[in-house]
Amino acid sequence: MEYQIEREEKEVLGDFKPELIPDACGGGIDDYEEALHVLMKFVGSMSSALEQVSGRGANAIVYQAGKRMGHEAGKMVEKTDDLEKAMQELSEILGVEFFFDMWKPADQTEYTVENGNETIVKLIFRDCVVRQTLRRTGLPQKGPLCYLLYGYTVGAVEEVMGIRGKLDIDHVGPNACLKTLTIKWGGK
Amino acid sequence: MVKIEIDEDACVGCGSCVDDCPNNVYEMDEEKNKTKVVNEDDCMACLSCHEICPAEAMEHKDIHVAKRLYIDRKVSGILKKII
Repeated sequence: MEYQIEREEKEVLGDFKPELIPDACGGGIDDYEEALHVLMKFVGSMSSALEQVSGRGANAIVYQAGKRMGHEAGKMVEKTDDLEKAMQELSEILGVEFFFDMWKPADQTEYTVENGNETIVKLIFRDCVVRQTLRRTGLPQKGPLCYLLYGYTVGAVEEVMGIRGKLDIDHVGPNACLKTLTIKWGGK
Repeated sequence: MVKIEIDEDACVGCGSCVDDCPNNVYEMDEEKNKTKVVNEDDCMACLSCHEICPAEAMEHKDIHVAKRLYIDRKVSGILKKII
């Protein structure tokens, strides 16, 4: 007797032929949701295992991966040494899934603080796929996956502005995370 | 601008939000032994206070509510039928 896997959903059958530019990907919103959750679980498990095997080195590995991505993404946009314009371009690079704003305490007049050859700006990340992945998989924030975003941000800023930068975590929360971006003027 | 409301009947005065807030938005009202909002302008709506509050005593209004794509709607649907 032939064995059949039982499924609730009915299999969709159709025709397929090679196409130059695909115009449909198939699936509905529920499929996207399920795919997203599966990916979140996979990435979360990978991050957790990486931390287990490599310890604190996991952060450096993931940071480097993110930084490389950031540099690649930064090549797509116009170069500038204007911080505000760079933040606008960073926003376009990171997209709506990493919705961020510049932030300052109420008693501070400017978003940027000059400190010798450094410019410091606080960024608040409101929407973040990394945070959502961590919450989906029950992992704590500030772990290796967060370093992917730090690397991505730093890499993109370095590429756009042609300078060196670093990102530090000030605070992480379930709805927003505050980070400090430090830009070191004087080239790489 | 962020508006924070504290439900004084629910607040148990544990002070967790005071300790957890990075921007010193809250202080303890020693007389009432409840949390009070003293620095609303510096609230960045991270909602760490919501996560730590054991009494769910606070509400933030007019904030950017981050997407919660991690929520499993199937599980939520089942839970809603039970609870």
